[in-house]
Amino acid sequence: MAEDKPDIARLVDEAAKAIGLPIAPEYRANVLANYERSLAIAQPLLEVELDDELTPAPVFRP
Amino acid sequence: MSDPLSKQATASEIARAVMSGKVKAAAVVEAALTRIETSEARINAFTDVVADRARKRAAEIDAGRHRGPLMGVPFAVKNLFDIKGLPTRAGSKINLDGPKAARDGSLIRKLEAAGAILLGGLNMGEYAYDFTGENAHCGPSRNPHDPTRMTGGSSGGSGAAVASGEVPLALGSDTNGSIRVPSSLCGLFGLKPTYGRLSRAGSFPFVDAFDHLGPLARSVEDLALSFDAMQGWDPDDPVCTDRDAEPTLTELNEGIGGLRIAIAGDYFARGAEPQALEAVAAVAKALGASKTIVIPQAAAARAGAYVITAIEGSQLHLPRLRTRPQDFDPDTRERFMAGALLPGAWYVKAQRFRRHYRAQVQKLFGEVDIILAPATPCTAPKLGQVMMKLGGVELPVRANLGLYTQPISFIGLPVVVAPLQRAGGLPIGVQIIANHYKEGAALRVARHLEKEGVAAAPPA
Repeated sequence: MAEDKPDIARLVDEAAKAIGLPIAPEYRANVLANYERSLAIAQPLLEVELDDELTPAPVFRP
Repeated sequence: MSDPLSKQATASEIARAVMSGKVKAAAVVEAALTRIETSEARINAFTDVVADRARKRAAEIDAGRHRGPLMGVPFAVKNLFDIKGLPTRAGSKINLDGPKAARDGSLIRKLEAAGAILLGGLNMGEYAYDFTGENAHCGPSRNPHDPTRMTGGSSGGSGAAVASGEVPLALGSDTNGSIRVPSSLCGLFGLKPTYGRLSRAGSFPFVDAFDHLGPLARSVEDLALSFDAMQGWDPDDPVCTDRDAEPTLTELNEGIGGLRIAIAGDYFARGAEPQALEAVAAVAKALGASKTIVIPQAAAARAGAYVITAIEGSQLHLPRLRTRPQDFDPDTRERFMAGALLPGAWYVKAQRFRRHYRAQVQKLFGEVDIILAPATPCTAPKLGQVMMKLGGVELPVRANLGLYTQPISFIGLPVVVAPLQRAGGLPIGVQIIANHYKEGAALRVARHLEKEGVAAAPPA
């Protein structure tokens, strides 16, 4: 649904500010395009449902 | 048997010739340096040639100072490996300003301890975030079978150097497919071992969760020979396994008897060009494999690999993205920038899913020993090509050359790529996927295909 779609431009601009990553105007359009593409590629992962007991794969051995 | 000084000679043939005294290591090195000088204008594989070092090493070998199973074999490495005295480029311009490596990467030391001779560093996609082999700073590595086409990446120089016969053996790295994609597009045998099997110490990282190192060669014997020489625990890589080395060369010719082999269907049969599926079918036929299995949730695995790669890789480069964005390759810069902003929740979910997916695939290995899948969805695209048509859908080349490799490296399974020559056409590879730590089984299958004349690297 169109109204559920995030405002990518705003999201990228604000997130970049939050982590202190300056994005020059000449790079911005392509960053937005890549962010949009990432949303699409990540979709099959985001749709998976996982049990609460499933902890992440990496094991830190002190 | 090829002339050990010719570009067709395999690493094994050269080692046997040097060991038996039939040819001097110095002559092997000079022949390789001449080939590099001749081919570079056409294929652009090398970024650094260490001729003096190689000549010195060859002289030492000829003086009887180093013996070993790779005696006198010239090799080269993707330029993310530390080479003593050189900055470790990792395909970048920025790293040229960094420190010079104090010593060689672990696998270089292991190959040289076995008698091999390093000839130099090889071109690659910037910071390994690449499937094309293109590089804005050094120019693209070019496919020796058609220099107007991509080598595949990110180990593009490794593919070009071996496929052109400059060297019989090269090392690459594979995070999402960077050994397997150039092996397929350049028509080489390539081995991405089990995650953690070979030490990554002394190589520039990309995504710790998935980074693997491994060899590309024109024969299966060369893969086994070099793999065996590189195995073994290394305290300098926290991921490196402490399992005993499991030599593969001795069992290489034992055939495929007893191995249950199946074809990956569903996700791995969708979206490929006909030549990719024909290659899998030809391999399956030669192996007598007719069973098709479904690797469950492969699309989610690919998505998980993408997310972990984007977030880990971008985090690694964040300081450089802040201070030197203008010095990045334009084809990686904005992907890294976007990746740095992705939600952390995605990363953790991808890691949790990874454990679930691993368990599902482990169950499959209760029924089969080997799974066959395409290595790339198509043969080599044209250099500079941005979009390609897969299964009738227009898709970006960069994101999709690794469509079939990503769900496999996501859980660190070992894979051998076997190349098929196509009459009048470009080569293409098939992934021979085995269970964790079963590189030997995948190599035996590849060797069987090579003996049967089904898989072969096109003549250099």
